[in-house]
Amino acid sequence: MRTYARTTAGKPGKCRSAGILTRSTSVGAARIFAAEWLARLLPAAMVALAVAALLAGGLEAALAAVPAASVSITVKGPDDHPVPGAVVTVRALGTDAKPAAPVRAIMDQINRAFEPDLLVIPVGSTVEFPNSDSVSHQIYSFSPARKFQLPLYRGNPNPPVHFDQAGVVTLGCNIHDEMVAYLVVTDAQYFGRTDATGTWTADIPRGKYRVSVWHPRMNEGAGELERELTVAEGDRATLTLHLAKPLRAAPLQPHPHSWDAY
Amino acid sequence: MNGKSRRAFARVAGLGCAGMSFAAVVLLAASTSAIAGATEWELDLDARLVTSNGEKSFFRGGFGTLRFDEQTSGLQWGRIRLALNQNLGEVWSLHLDASSFGNDEQNPLDLTEAYLQFRPYPFDGFRARLKAGAFYAPISLENRLAGWESPYTLSSSAINTWVGEELRTVGLEGQIDWLGTRTGHLFDLALTGAVFGWNDPAGVVVARNGFMLNDRQSTLFGRVAQYGGPPPAQAPEVFREIDGRPGAYAGLEARYLDRVVLRVLRYDNRGDPAVFDPSSHEFAWLTRFDSAGLRAESASGWSAVAQWLDGQTFVEPRGTRFGWGFRSKFLLVSKRTGQHTFSVRYDSFDVASRQARSDDGDQHGHAWTAAYIFEPGTRWRFTLEWLSVWSDSDNRSDFGGLQIGADELLREHKLEAALRYAVGSAVK
Repeated sequence: MRTYARTTAGKPGKCRSAGILTRSTSVGAARIFAAEWLARLLPAAMVALAVAALLAGGLEAALAAVPAASVSITVKGPDDHPVPGAVVTVRALGTDAKPAAPVRAIMDQINRAFEPDLLVIPVGSTVEFPNSDSVSHQIYSFSPARKFQLPLYRGNPNPPVHFDQAGVVTLGCNIHDEMVAYLVVTDAQYFGRTDATGTWTADIPRGKYRVSVWHPRMNEGAGELERELTVAEGDRATLTLHLAKPLRAAPLQPHPHSWDAY
Repeated sequence: MNGKSRRAFARVAGLGCAGMSFAAVVLLAASTSAIAGATEWELDLDARLVTSNGEKSFFRGGFGTLRFDEQTSGLQWGRIRLALNQNLGEVWSLHLDASSFGNDEQNPLDLTEAYLQFRPYPFDGFRARLKAGAFYAPISLENRLAGWESPYTLSSSAINTWVGEELRTVGLEGQIDWLGTRTGHLFDLALTGAVFGWNDPAGVVVARNGFMLNDRQSTLFGRVAQYGGPPPAQAPEVFREIDGRPGAYAGLEARYLDRVVLRVLRYDNRGDPAVFDPSSHEFAWLTRFDSAGLRAESASGWSAVAQWLDGQTFVEPRGTRFGWGFRSKFLLVSKRTGQHTFSVRYDSFDVASRQARSDDGDQHGHAWTAAYIFEPGTRWRFTLEWLSVWSDSDNRSDFGGLQIGADELLREHKLEAALRYAVGSAVK
């Protein structure tokens, strides 16, 4: 006790009362001490709780911005065989979600063929069409989504072409009829192409979506192969779409280019 | 066409032939000077080793059905070919194809085709095309390689041998393409129509010699020896205007993706068979035919080509009309596996005189062709071809110096090896 008294001796007011309290009863003094501190801390605790609640809300919002589920979409033919190379687009439903950010893409021309022969790009993207061949090419499109022509050229003399309307753009070369390529201009938030197993996988936030499938050789019309997909938090969503009709025959490969001189 | 306009056309025709020769030389020079630019050129050298029991060939004034006969077996030049393609601005291009076929050719190097092509941009899925000059009508479905060669065999079918021998469109051809596959459809369609001249002798060879099977193409200013005619150097040119009356054809082509091609064509050279050309001692021949062909290809390398042709040709000396009907068909099946192509073709052909009391020109026959092609790259091509023809021929029996009946089948066969080397900027 001496030590205690000595310690409080330096604080005259408290020392006195504390000293009194100490002398009267130690249990009751402890209760009063706790209540006093609680009363002092309460406002701060409430503020802290409010901040925590706010933080928690923010965290939830922040959590909502990161992928909620791994979505796996598989495209199969009527014979149940996987369809590689199919274009899958995923659009958010019921929101004003913006399309994916525009990109700058390149579609080259090598050995009298477009390389690659299919590109999926968000609306607003630009595409360069260099010609790496030693022969000249002329590119044309009369697709409603983007009609344009690039005059006979070699190298890369043309500015990139801007694609500001969603749709499929079919490209050809006026010199070489066997050359054909596709640009899928999409306003979807998520898109890609199926791999060799006919599957496309992406991390997509929870929500409701419309999934569309397109393939340059499919016999179904545009919009015929669409499904709604609900993605829940922490889900692993899978969806399999079946083409009702078999794909059209692929272009014959390899054909010497001179085979259709007449 | 009245007499005046007919004479005018004949004058233009006469000038045109000489003019075309001159223009070809000028264009050739112009193209050569632009080789470093957008010109594509190609030189092909094609040597042959032949063993044949064939009768004296048509090119030496005989009635054989093969190009190389027993006398010309051995080492031969198959073809020397020089081709130039020149883009002229955005939508025009020039195509020149010159060849020497070696055997009894009257010009060392002569044009097989020379034309200017206008190919504007497609408009809403349609495209117009125009060709002016001398070129092949869209008949053959086997002669699809540059230089009108075949990727399947060395020798053309009976039908296409005749096309190469007697037909060339010297005039104007227009075509409207509907590019269905570019608008999400399964088909492309093309409508073709042409107006031409310089094709009045067409029919004379099929009426006199019948069908043949070879790979020689008549050149634009070339001459060939004919039985009973003047020596080769004085023989008339194959492509001439005699009656001043233009011919015409119309055709349709339908393509299912790039797998199936169907072609039909109606051809009429509108010759006036009563008009005689004293300089060549030839009448104009009136020749009409219908042609149809189908080609189908699979992803596994199989191809099938079938063609059919049915026509008539008439000549009318001194008011008497003589006519011959001619028809032929063939089926070719081919398998391509890597650098190797194996092909088999069956041809049948008939020429029938329409004269009540004469069988002159009658010919019936069929042929089997088997070919193997090895292409280790774009420059070299090796071909081995066996060809066997069974035919009877009234003219060969009467004038060919053979002790053989008019209805007796004669078998001619050959084995031919070809080594072809191609060089140039067009060889990819």
